[in-house]
Amino acid sequence: MGHDENDGIQELDNPLPGWWLVTFYGTIIFAFFYWIHYTFTNAPDLQGELKLAMDELERVRKNSGGDAGGGGSGGALPAESEEQLAALFAPGDRADQGKVVFAAKCASCHGPEGAGLVGPNLTDKFWIHGKGTRKDILAVISGGVKDKGMPAWSEMLSKEELYSSAAFVFSIKGKNLPGKPPEGNEVP
Amino acid sequence: MTENNDLWESYDDDIVRKFIFACLLFGAIAFLAGLLAALQMAYWPFNSNLPWITFGRLRPLHTNAAIFAFAGNAIFAGIYHSTQRLLKTRMFSDVLSNIHFWGWQLIILSAAVTLPLGYSHGKEYAELEWPIDIAITVVWVVFAVNFFGTIAIRKQRHLYVALWFYIATIITVAVLHIFNSIELPVSFMKSYPVYAGIQDALVQWWYGHNAVAFFLTTPFLGLMYYYLPKAANRPIYSYRLSIVHFWALIFLYIWAGPHHLLYSSLPEWAQTLGMVFSVMLWAPSWGGMINGLLTLRGSWDLLRTDPIIKFLVAGITFYGMATFEGPLLSIKSVNALAHFTDWIIGHVHGGALGWNGLLTFAIIYYLVPKLWRTELYSKKLATTHFWFAIFGILIYYVSMTSAGITQGLMWRAVDQQGRLVYPDFVETVLRIVPLYWFRVLGGTLFIVGFAIMLYNLFMTLKRAPRPVPELIGDIPKSAELGTGHRKLEGLATVFSVLAFFAILVGSVIEILPTLNLDKYLNPTLTVKPYTPLELAGRDIYVREGCYYCHSQQIRPMVSEVLRYGPPSTVEESMYDHPFQWGSKRTGPDIARVGKKYPDLWHYRHMMDPRSVTPKSIMPNYPWLAEDNTDFLILRKKLSVMRVLGVPYSDEELANADILAEKQAQEIAQKLAADGAPGGLEKKEIVALISYLQALGQKGSPKNETLGSVPQL
Ligand code: HEC
Ligand code: HEC
Repeated sequence: MGHDENDGIQELDNPLPGWWLVTFYGTIIFAFFYWIHYTFTNAPDLQGELKLAMDELERVRKNSGGDAGGGGSGGALPAESEEQLAALFAPGDRADQGKVVFAAKCASCHGPEGAGLVGPNLTDKFWIHGKGTRKDILAVISGGVKDKGMPAWSEMLSKEELYSSAAFVFSIKGKNLPGKPPEGNEVP
Repeated sequence: MTENNDLWESYDDDIVRKFIFACLLFGAIAFLAGLLAALQMAYWPFNSNLPWITFGRLRPLHTNAAIFAFAGNAIFAGIYHSTQRLLKTRMFSDVLSNIHFWGWQLIILSAAVTLPLGYSHGKEYAELEWPIDIAITVVWVVFAVNFFGTIAIRKQRHLYVALWFYIATIITVAVLHIFNSIELPVSFMKSYPVYAGIQDALVQWWYGHNAVAFFLTTPFLGLMYYYLPKAANRPIYSYRLSIVHFWALIFLYIWAGPHHLLYSSLPEWAQTLGMVFSVMLWAPSWGGMINGLLTLRGSWDLLRTDPIIKFLVAGITFYGMATFEGPLLSIKSVNALAHFTDWIIGHVHGGALGWNGLLTFAIIYYLVPKLWRTELYSKKLATTHFWFAIFGILIYYVSMTSAGITQGLMWRAVDQQGRLVYPDFVETVLRIVPLYWFRVLGGTLFIVGFAIMLYNLFMTLKRAPRPVPELIGDIPKSAELGTGHRKLEGLATVFSVLAFFAILVGSVIEILPTLNLDKYLNPTLTVKPYTPLELAGRDIYVREGCYYCHSQQIRPMVSEVLRYGPPSTVEESMYDHPFQWGSKRTGPDIARVGKKYPDLWHYRHMMDPRSVTPKSIMPNYPWLAEDNTDFLILRKKLSVMRVLGVPYSDEELANADILAEKQAQEIAQKLAADGAPGGLEKKEIVALISYLQALGQKGSPKNETLGSVPQL
């Protein structure tokens, strides 16, 4: 029995519950070993763990073959030739699929019709990067132009989406919609 | 003289009544501000294009009102009421009591005015600017003098456990507030903290976490130890347990701050300490819960009949839940998923609404009839309030936890080709917007319950007679001093000094090493300070509270590297007074957003985020294109920064405003050429854009761990 002089509040003096003590000691022991492990042994630190995980990612990307968009190609030219691309872009619904991708991912910068907003007008005859060939378009979409604010889409789109958006851009080329004033060089 | 004697024969309950009124008034404001913030998350137009109620300014108003106004006034009411009775004396000084009361309410009012106007430190739960910081210190010292003065004139030799918790609260809050608020003023309502980067982060979360510990936990445990046995008329379960869990709790709590900074660029030893001390806190926290719940052993029938016991038991249970979840969330791998998500928001509200809210309601339902010598108008309404509150909290908690886990999993999802499954951040936001509506529902229920309480209290007071002072009555004859801890309870000064040392140990061991920042810097990585214009932009970022929605700290995890770029480094924030790492990602991390988009993109995005990111929930900031940047103050700002150790040259200092105007001119011209309206060079939007474009561009860290994986 404890005391009862505290404004009439009484205090019993029951022993500490066993399970509570076990929990308390358990967490202290865990804390001690965890601390030793991460502070004094050569367990990998956060950077080390990241490195392991990044290596693993690298391996996954290699194994999954070319299927990953530009997956890691970082804007290198597509492997296909212009003719092969022409064949790949040809199916009728390609550009239509691309239009959906474009509306979702590109319209915020290039305008709903591709006539330019933050990014350049894609329907005129002027090109900043290359000459507006299928290969050029695909390259700039995959690799982006980091410093000018054109994202590298190879990381964010599947190969399928990448190619269809390029097919769509190619299909609106030369429509000459009124929009952002021309940038880059005129390509006949 | 006789009148004075009369006064000393009674307790001062006027002050308690005042604090109760203030608690109810500011509770209403805090809850409504919270509801509006919840609505803004669910449906952005609730930001109303009005600067002073956009989310970034409303959130600090909500948190400050909830913590310091609602919970604060509740604590004071309970402390003033119970301390006098436990010490069998009137408060030390009625004058100090009143200075404390009115001073505190003035501080709250000044917060209610300055926060919506955008005056802010940019540090969570410590937003108030330096003049108010000083006022808080003064009022807190007044409170301390009054409290310890009362202890000095006590008629009761031994201090009851409730008082131990009050002592720890008063000492620790003073230490936390003073050390976290050391800042250098630039002007009347603007200052920069002396700490930068990892230092500032560490001090801030040492403060932030222990504001939870010593403002929302220890005082409420003290209140529980008084009001629970009183309301239930039962003895406290275990005196021994109260000793062990009290000392363990205050000693361990102070170390746990860095669990808010796991996976950040804070040195890893500090992160590890933060985690292990949080884990060790589990049992001491539950010690309080057990002592509360087991006190009711043998009188569980009260739970059915007495609404006050309902509130107490539910409150203590929520305390148990929150203090189990806290250590869980501190475990690194769990934290990796939960941090920056709404799970944390759910956790906080389980504690704030469940523990602080319900306990406060219990105390008020107990006190009001006592202080006004009447009966509660309706027990039935109190029970209705209880159920509204419980369902409100549960809906809130469940919806936010699911939102957090859902979004956390979406952020980290990487597909078999090694790419992010949801590269579009906004997709992960839209997925959880329905849950934001559930939160609105939960909050509404809680508020309806509160309104029922107000009505119930109003009706109670309407019928109450004029209150008469309660006499102190017989003073028990002095007990033996005793031995061991019992003896310590009779020696108030020694007790307080020991409590002070208990909280000092962890503080010193964790903070002292980081005060010498150089130790953690890699001398080969140099970082350039912000240009004057960027600094102006940064202050706008702080003013608008962007950091309540955006983090600036990329964690060393694959999914973060893929989404945001290389992990943030110590060097990158070394000149950041204050640090802006953030604690919540309602929007994406922007530590490396610089150069990601053209200036025009930012212009359009800030004017209306939906014009570039359909369905975004970010507010519009149209006033940034109308208001002018204050160029003239930049010299002063740079000179203060230089005093704080940011290496600005004499020339930059002397020409700060000219340099800024020049840079603004360039940006504005480019914007105009690209199709934005002309004449923006003096506008705040240009300064903000310059800051956003500088993020991650001030000296890119070499990072070998990233191998050849391309960055976006
Ligand atoms: C954040 C804004 C933004 C988004 C989103 C964006 N772009 Fe761009 N894009 C730009 C900018 C800016 C340029 C100009 C780069 C330069 O000046 O070098 C550009 C350039 C281009 C070009 C080259 C134009 C030329 O004249 O050489 C193509 C093709 C293109 N984008 C296609 C796309 C496609 C397809 C998408 C969607 C998958 C997309 N863009 C999404 C901003 C954007
Ligand atoms: C209510 C939360 C909220 C607030 C407050 C907020 N944002 Fe955002 N922000 C978002 C969301 C959500 C997104 C993602 C969707 C989008 O692009 O609009 C975002 C996106 C952004 C982006 C684009 C990041 C990227 O990498 O695509 C920038 C830049 C940005 N915000 C800047 C700011 C600035 C500056 C402020 C303060 C003036 C601010 N935000 C305030 C929610 C918020």
